Amino acid sequence: MEVTILDAYWLDLGYLPYTPAFAIQEQLFKARLAGRLQSLVLLQENPPTFTIGRAGSANGGLAANLLLSPQELAQRGYEVLEVNRGGDVTYHGPGQIIASPLLYLGDIEGSPANCPNANAYLHRLEDVLIEVLARFGLQAGKQAEHPGVWLGDEKIGAVGIAVRHGYTFHGFSLNVNLDLSPFKLINPCGVPQMRVTSMQAKLGAEISLDLVKSHLRQVMAETFGLALQDTTWQTLQSAIPKE
Amino acid sequence: MRYPLTVPRTADGALAVTILRWLNAVGEDVRKGEDLVEAKTEKITLYVTVPVDGKLVEILAPAGQKVSVGEVIGYVEG
Repeated sequence: MEVTILDAYWLDLGYLPYTPAFAIQEQLFKARLAGRLQSLVLLQENPPTFTIGRAGSANGGLAANLLLSPQELAQRGYEVLEVNRGGDVTYHGPGQIIASPLLYLGDIEGSPANCPNANAYLHRLEDVLIEVLARFGLQAGKQAEHPGVWLGDEKIGAVGIAVRHGYTFHGFSLNVNLDLSPFKLINPCGVPQMRVTSMQAKLGAEISLDLVKSHLRQVMAETFGLALQDTTWQTLQSAIPKE
Repeated sequence: MRYPLTVPRTADGALAVTILRWLNAVGEDVRKGEDLVEAKTEKITLYVTVPVDGKLVEILAPAGQKVSVGEVIGYVEG
């Protein structure tokens, strides 16, 4: 089968609070919509933060699946934010890789341009995580009722995307060396008593984030036919024409 | 002419699409290409965009309503 190669940037923002990282994502997304920027995969790692997606904020208000009030969480040093990805509440923190592919569904192989399918794309993101975990000897899978990537009944990777004019943003997160205790303060993804895990918890040792990212990069390239090129936010800022 | 607003086919395969909010009210002017409706499936946020410069004249599916792919959820007159 002929594979179309799509030029794409690989932009790792490193360790950055969620709000400025998302502001960067929004600027990049606007540039994508305006046809001023090629495809891109954005990576970030956040300080301790709870984010509540559209499913959560729509279901009985901000705090429905927070087990403490936003004020109490703030006192304990957590940021609490409402965001526009799909899904309910989840936790982000050091040791978790968050990736946001800014792709056009019509560009993705197997997605006819006249009928790009966001669900198929979401499942391919799950496949990416499953393949990355397999490279570390972890046999992960999917659950029909609960999107995301699972090791048995424990969730190790979450997916949640947004699509505007066929262009994607947000993406997925993978728990590498993430401290799992903050999940006790929420109903993750809106599900009480949902169990979560990490690569570190399963493998019994801290895993190099850079090593995981390098596998993630390979698998993203193979899955979506991307020719990835490293870049920095500074480079893109100067390269993107101003509106 | 009245132009229908439909749930985008990008949501094909989704079991349930829910209207989250309308970004404009009936009677307001809207511009082609702008976001008009935010909708969600379990893990996907979707935006319905305005098909033509004009006025939002009718909302058939208000916030909170479950809809299906391709369903007409409102009309813009332009």
